[in-house]
Amino acid sequence: MVESVSVPLSVYRFDPGRDASPRYVDYRLDLPRHTPVLTALLKIRSEIDSSLSLRYSCRSAICGSCAMLINSKSRLACQTQVGPELDLHGRIVIDPMRNQPVLRDLVVDQRPFWQDYERILPHLVTDPRHPMPEGKPNPMTPEQVERFHETPRCIACGACYSACPAKEADPTFPGPMALAKLYRFVVDPRDGATRERLLRIQPGGLWTCLRCHLCTTSCPKDVQPSERIRDLKELAIREQGATEAGSRHAVGFKENLHDRGLLNEMRLVRQTDGVLGMLRQAPQGIRIAAKKPELLHKPRRIEGQEEVRRLYELLEDEEGGA
Amino acid sequence: MRRHDVLVVGAGLAGQRAALAAAQAGRDVALLTKLHPLRSHSGAAQGGINAAVGAEDSVDTHIYDTVKGSDYLGDQDAIEFFCSEAGKTVVEMEHFGTIFSRAPDGSLARRPFGGAGFPRTIYAADRTGLALLQAIYEHLGTEKITTYEEWDLVDLVLVDGRVQGIVAHDRRTGEFEGIAAKSVVLATGPAGRVYSRTTNSHSSTGDGLAIAYRAGAWLKDMEFVQFHPTALLETGILITEGARGEGGILKNGTGERFMSRYAPHVQDLASRDVVSRAIVTEILEGRGFPGGFVHLELMHLGKEKIESRLQEICDFSRNFAGIDPVTEPIPVSPAQHYMMGGIGTSIHGETNLAGLFAAGEAACVSIHGANRLGGNSLLETLVFGKEAGIAAAQFAADSPSTRVSDIEVQRTLGTVRTMMARTDGVEPLAFRAEIQAVMERRAGIYRNDADLRAGCEEISTLRERAATMRITDSSRVFNLNLTDALETLHILDLAEVILVGALARTESRGAHSRTDFPKRDDANWMRHTIASYRPEGPQLSYAPVAYTRWEPKERVY
Repeated sequence: MVESVSVPLSVYRFDPGRDASPRYVDYRLDLPRHTPVLTALLKIRSEIDSSLSLRYSCRSAICGSCAMLINSKSRLACQTQVGPELDLHGRIVIDPMRNQPVLRDLVVDQRPFWQDYERILPHLVTDPRHPMPEGKPNPMTPEQVERFHETPRCIACGACYSACPAKEADPTFPGPMALAKLYRFVVDPRDGATRERLLRIQPGGLWTCLRCHLCTTSCPKDVQPSERIRDLKELAIREQGATEAGSRHAVGFKENLHDRGLLNEMRLVRQTDGVLGMLRQAPQGIRIAAKKPELLHKPRRIEGQEEVRRLYELLEDEEGGA
Repeated sequence: MRRHDVLVVGAGLAGQRAALAAAQAGRDVALLTKLHPLRSHSGAAQGGINAAVGAEDSVDTHIYDTVKGSDYLGDQDAIEFFCSEAGKTVVEMEHFGTIFSRAPDGSLARRPFGGAGFPRTIYAADRTGLALLQAIYEHLGTEKITTYEEWDLVDLVLVDGRVQGIVAHDRRTGEFEGIAAKSVVLATGPAGRVYSRTTNSHSSTGDGLAIAYRAGAWLKDMEFVQFHPTALLETGILITEGARGEGGILKNGTGERFMSRYAPHVQDLASRDVVSRAIVTEILEGRGFPGGFVHLELMHLGKEKIESRLQEICDFSRNFAGIDPVTEPIPVSPAQHYMMGGIGTSIHGETNLAGLFAAGEAACVSIHGANRLGGNSLLETLVFGKEAGIAAAQFAADSPSTRVSDIEVQRTLGTVRTMMARTDGVEPLAFRAEIQAVMERRAGIYRNDADLRAGCEEISTLRERAATMRITDSSRVFNLNLTDALETLHILDLAEVILVGALARTESRGAHSRTDFPKRDDANWMRHTIASYRPEGPQLSYAPVAYTRWEPKERVY
């Protein structure tokens, strides 16, 4: 028989209609190390406290129901084993997902998540220039299927949405899942609504993303939303030009490095927000300059600047060919 | 009062396809699910969807394979219709946006599946159910329908044998509400949680079947329970037949590729009932591994093939069993997987009750007969979901409006309040485990008279105790203890129907394997079992099987 270990669990409990504030209830179970956290929670439900509320269904990481915080990390309870958690943290603390209001215990209100999903126009829109072939499937090569990357694996669990600090800071940001879904339609050779989709995610769009990669590291299906958001940013600049502060900042950043190999903060602010924007930010600029006057100096060109330019040329050649 | 023309219960593939068809027919449609539509169990289907679209294949061969696979209990007129719809169904789903795996020439890739004469199973890696579920959900989003998410179906309301609507429970608010509908489509999916070892999700508790049964609908062929040959040892998580379709092989504890003794021609790709019995026989005769399992080997396929075509299987094995299929064999044994039986319907989803329709795994048309072929159930959800949706829309168009009286809601609520008021009695989850244990012990892969009789007696003892079931959680919001109790009562009724049907059927056919009656008995048993509800236990009657062109033969693979 597999040896059991004693597992201390601390579980967030809150019934907003009855409890003044949330509390943690501690449980201790004897479980084999490879036991999924979900199994532990179901054991609590069936043997200790049947009032513990959580969402779960398939227990095999395909229905996306049981996302929650396990030792502060957004993940699926069915796919997280107790052993490694104990090794890292000594105990297992369970909280509901972030960025969504708690309905009860570990159950959150996912309506904001689904409303953000709706923003990207989440269905195939046939390009009128390429109607569907009658009575036949559209041809699509294995290479074209590859271009979806892992986005079709998304199970809409919301772990990325819960982990996303950009979502927390800016409620208009659609969140990683919706953007990964947007990517799924953008690369679909059958779809013809890329322009409309990119418009629909304004404001908040793409540029609120901080590239922190927490979505990618919390995704249980390896969808890599942050990589796809990067792809969408490139696409947006190609399709629409640098029309927003976010994209102007990205383009300005690149130009700065290309020209001198270092950032010229003054120039970057002007490129991102324009002259008027600079004036609006002047008070803050003066405060910063008082502490770090070197920011006002035009940076010198770095040594080996030619190498940087050559790198850019190589990259552009490669992308031009792709 | 909430009121709709057509109310579809269950938002998996069958339910969503029914809702789509009914909405396209111009009706006011509502879709009710105890989950979110994208969390439905259809999404767990891995292997693929059958359609005879290859140049060397034909619809007739698909029909023949399905008839043979059903061990001649499938209705041949229904099977002919079913297979002839396959090609256009797959094309439609492709047009809705399904991302299928592709062959180098850009056509839909196909893989071989058990019991099929040709590589006929179209797939999306090893997550075909998820791919289809996403596409239908996306497409249904373009129609105007009302969705009730995280609502439990609690009761069907019938007046004079005609459906008036349902009583449902909103998990978010805790309210019980009546929803009137001129027609109701039940697409509530599987009932695998009647057993403890099942590939099915925790939500697969047969709600629609049990509620329809108590309302007077006929349950058909419920004794035919499919056990999938390859489920992960501890958890019962499904390892797709596609793993063998891609070349995976089964080996016993002595390292022998034992399927060559049971199915010399197709070996590991024999029909599911054949492979499951072979595995259990190996284990019973001492040739399994200690702990009662066999090995599924994929290592010889190579890392690249395993990781690209069987990506989910890799993850399952690594995350849920700590096994890397690239370097080690996967420990597997059979687990309950599918109910061939269900609410008896016509090709158009009609039941014996006016205004009540059913589709998908909750229904029995019957196309699977005594044993379902892999790749046919995804197709079934879409073909018959659409038919049921069209028929329900037509029925609603021809019907006067209906209503659900508050008396119905109060009656249901009364039952729940009684369970909540008890300070003593059986706990739903512990009690559920007892029912499941009876079913594993008495109505598994091999059955016999003594076991089934004992099972019936054990269930009637449990039924007496069920009257004392108790709900301990008193909260209104997401009270899962309440849904546990309702689901457990559903499971109890269905367990009884399976046992009684299996005891009566004194033959072996397809997935129903009686050690005391090892032969198929066409003279006496080539007929469907019909179970109808009586308070004292199910009443059985029998209905003929529809034949067209295929004479019963012995099934050899």
